Amino acid sequence: MPSVMPSIRVKVLFFGRLRELTGLAEEAGELPEGATLAQVFERYAERYPKLAGFRNSMVVSRNQEFAAWDTRVAAGDEIAFLPPVSGG
Amino acid sequence: MTANLQEDKFELVREAIDAEALVRHVRAGQDGAIVTFDGFVRNESHGRKTSYLEYEAYESMALGKMKEIAAQIHEKFAIHRVAIVHRLGRLEIGETSVFIAVSAPHRGAAFDACRFAIDTLKRTVPIWKKEYFADGAVWADGELPPTPPSAKSAS
Repeated sequence: MPSVMPSIRVKVLFFGRLRELTGLAEEAGELPEGATLAQVFERYAERYPKLAGFRNSMVVSRNQEFAAWDTRVAAGDEIAFLPPVSGG
Repeated sequence: MTANLQEDKFELVREAIDAEALVRHVRAGQDGAIVTFDGFVRNESHGRKTSYLEYEAYESMALGKMKEIAAQIHEKFAIHRVAIVHRLGRLEIGETSVFIAVSAPHRGAAFDACRFAIDTLKRTVPIWKKEYFADGAVWADGELPPTPPSAKSAS
């Protein structure tokens, strides 16, 4: 029997310069179960190589809370990649 | 002191902010002071003449973070009500981008809470500003919000 990693569906959002750089505001993503936020980012950095350089000048949120990069994602999560904030 | 966020106001708007209405909203008979913060678009940035600004937000999260700020200032300071409104979209020089009003029985708490609210907003609320100049545009530098510790060390 082939071992297939079960996959989960999540929503992925990009804002500010990260949105401009990817040309992507939002998409439905499919990820292997147990993936961390860092691994989600790596997938996008493969697709959009320019993203990689921003890894240390951004934060990530999971379900609208800032999250550590080693947080594991779950089905239905809303994940967002956020540049330094500059409201006010 | 009871924190009643239902009497507070949090909004992201795309039209001019009605500052007077917000001041009226937080004002009540039990109060003796209101402190407001009016943040508006400056005509220059790092020595370059600004044409206009554009703001965008992760709207649902931004509103959530604004409410967290209100909960924090109710906890830390003896205030009555708070209103926090941020404008999005294109803003011209001199237009208000953010307005905060805090009411309290006594002025000290209102000053402290208003200062805490704007400082925290600038560090934690997911809103971004792009500055447009005659010869180009840049995303404002901004601040990296504090993030929780690694999941491994979290209980």
